[in-house]
Amino acid sequence: MRWNPMLRVGAAVFAVGLVAAACGQQESLGGGGGQAPEYEVVQDPRFAPGTTMAELSEAGTIRIGTKFDQPLFGLRNLDGQMRGFDVEIAKIISGQLGIAPEDIEWVQSPSAQREDLIERGEVDMVVATYTINDERAQRVSFAGPYYQAGQILMVRSDNQEITGPDSLRGSGARVCTVTGSTPSENIRPFIEESQLVLFQQYSQCRDALGTDQVDVVTTDNVILLGYVANSEGQFKLVGDTFTEEPYGVGIPKGDVQFCLFINQALTEAAGTGAYQRAWEATAGTVAEETPELPELNSCR
Amino acid sequence: MQPVISFLGAVVGYFDPVIDNIGLFADAFLHTLEIVVYAAVGSLALGTVVAAFRVSPVSPLRWVGTSWVTVFRNCPLTVVLFFCAFGLPEIGINGAYFWFGVTGLVLYTSAFVSEAVRSGINSVSAGQAEAARAIGLTFRQSMGQVVFPQAFRTVVPPLGSVIIAMIKNSAIVGAFGVGNELFSVHATLVSARGLALIPVLLGVAAGYLIITLTGGALLGVLERKVAIAR
Amino acid sequence: MTATTPPMIKMAAVNKHFGSLHVLRDVDLEVDRGQVVVVLGPSGSGKSTLCRTINRLEPIDQGTIEVDGAPLPAEGRELARLRADVGMVFQQFNLFAHKTVIENVTLGPIKVRKLGRSQAHETAMTLLDRVGITDQADKYPAQLSGGQQQRAAIARALAMRPKVMLFDEPTSALDPEMINEVLDVMVALADEGMTMLVITHEMGFARRAAHRVVFMSDGEIVEDAAPQEFFTAPRSDRARDFLGKILTH
Repeated sequence: MRWNPMLRVGAAVFAVGLVAAACGQQESLGGGGGQAPEYEVVQDPRFAPGTTMAELSEAGTIRIGTKFDQPLFGLRNLDGQMRGFDVEIAKIISGQLGIAPEDIEWVQSPSAQREDLIERGEVDMVVATYTINDERAQRVSFAGPYYQAGQILMVRSDNQEITGPDSLRGSGARVCTVTGSTPSENIRPFIEESQLVLFQQYSQCRDALGTDQVDVVTTDNVILLGYVANSEGQFKLVGDTFTEEPYGVGIPKGDVQFCLFINQALTEAAGTGAYQRAWEATAGTVAEETPELPELNSCR
Repeated sequence: MQPVISFLGAVVGYFDPVIDNIGLFADAFLHTLEIVVYAAVGSLALGTVVAAFRVSPVSPLRWVGTSWVTVFRNCPLTVVLFFCAFGLPEIGINGAYFWFGVTGLVLYTSAFVSEAVRSGINSVSAGQAEAARAIGLTFRQSMGQVVFPQAFRTVVPPLGSVIIAMIKNSAIVGAFGVGNELFSVHATLVSARGLALIPVLLGVAAGYLIITLTGGALLGVLERKVAIAR
Repeated sequence: MTATTPPMIKMAAVNKHFGSLHVLRDVDLEVDRGQVVVVLGPSGSGKSTLCRTINRLEPIDQGTIEVDGAPLPAEGRELARLRADVGMVFQQFNLFAHKTVIENVTLGPIKVRKLGRSQAHETAMTLLDRVGITDQADKYPAQLSGGQQQRAAIARALAMRPKVMLFDEPTSALDPEMINEVLDVMVALADEGMTMLVITHEMGFARRAAHRVVFMSDGEIVEDAAPQEFFTAPRSDRARDFLGKILTH
């Protein structure tokens, strides 16, 4: 590791931050700073008998699948606290069912297992950077989307040359992403084959960016936001997202009532400002703009 | 006749993922060929030098040779490649991942080449080297003029195995930033583009077989040649 | 020979061990220019080792060895230069198996003496003529009889124009009918005034060609005398015992 002065300062700040966190402050870089916002928990909500909402509300508890290792979206801290935008969205929805955050049972849901968890009934819903697509919609239903993610570029902070995907070709910049990934296919039209560097994991791309071996890392903005947040100013995102990855709430296939209920909850949250507070307390700590709630699907 | 034609049609259709992307396969094949040619030349040269170190009369050189073989023969190739791809940039050595990958293969394979060459050297009777030294040849000359040419004969078959193993090992470098080599074609076509796995992997296997079988045939010719040159 | 010319070979207080085995014990030996010295002794007496220490094929533990007035250098270029001046003939011939006879004889002159190919070839053919195997020049060692191989090996050593020749049991690996063709070459060489140190069991050669006989036993030089004197009146019991064993048959 080469310790340039910026990094040294960054490390010092980070160390101070660690001490502060140890002194009881509820802070963590990965999960977004600040006090976790509170949301309305409806007292004695009424639902038509036999619906999923009635069952969950009656039970007073809900099992929610999310990522445990995705900074800013779904991250479990060392002390067991759940942090991130997905977590906040799940809390908002649960509140509308009359379930308080402490009554939520969090279930780790890695990407490859999400459909299985829903189909086997091991979770009631999944909020886990879960991109809506036709293939997945064969097996599960999606409420939302509650966020429009997309592929974006990350560069070293001192890079002025790269401003977006269109500036890549001809710049000779080496662009890193993961072998066999959707982002690797999406970036190909913007670069020469020789510019592409492929690894097994995004963390390897990030390390290569840190050692000047590559100039750009590209994948979903959600993943890159986490790296920027932890880079102590070394990296930044440039340009707009250039693909659309709508994140939905995964629920059992065909549960239209539940889908409509979740969409209702999301719409209300956007109206009351709960949605915005959820963002600002998490991903909003490193992202510049607070997103609008995207147009919701019809649940049919 | 009709069933035969439709059967053949189905077989050909099964390999559509390969046939439709034959250009990609060809590029990747040539790229892999390039990697293994550089790695073969590099590891044969380096491995021979290391073997010479191991039998040299100078004890620090022997120590270096032995350590070299011990380290690189006993480390997994993935670890060696990790150090090349991520370790070298950490200490300020920047370069193309292609060369990091080739370097990793060369370092790793040189240890095995060295062992094969050393066993060949040991198969040459000690008297040959003594006679060479007795007429005043230097260590390098006695190695180059007397020992290596005789060792070469016994060394060709084991070296062939080492090089063929290296060719197969080259499939790993795709995971270390060396893009567009033969093995990584399956990731591009299967994971990213959703094509069927088995026909694509059969295509990849065919690519490697072309390289290894050709290499094996060339070795056979070489083996017969050195056997006659006596 | 004046008093100021150093002996060709001078060994002083040389000791050598193989592990716990003390193979050379305080060996002192001088060989003057033009002298032919035959070393005799039972097997395991250290005579081969003695021979091999002179061009440092075997390093020694203590003592000094000088060749033509200069101490033996350590491993490296210097030593290679010295070895070029000291010809050596091995029991097992050790001809380079992948080279023809003529290539064996010209390798040293070309690589070490930096002679031109044609000049080296010419000299080599003269030498092969001298040892009587010109017709074998283009054959590989494996195609030759033992006697022919050993004569080729002598030619190879002579091609370096050595100051001294070491013979390490040159006839021990030969079938009896081939021994004389090699000894004849060696006698001729001695007659020409070559300085020679010869380890052998051939008493006939010792009587005919040697100026001195050195008798070794258990790593020590026990006797050092003229051949006539040694064979007729050995002074030590060990020498008497040895001669008794080899001459009774």
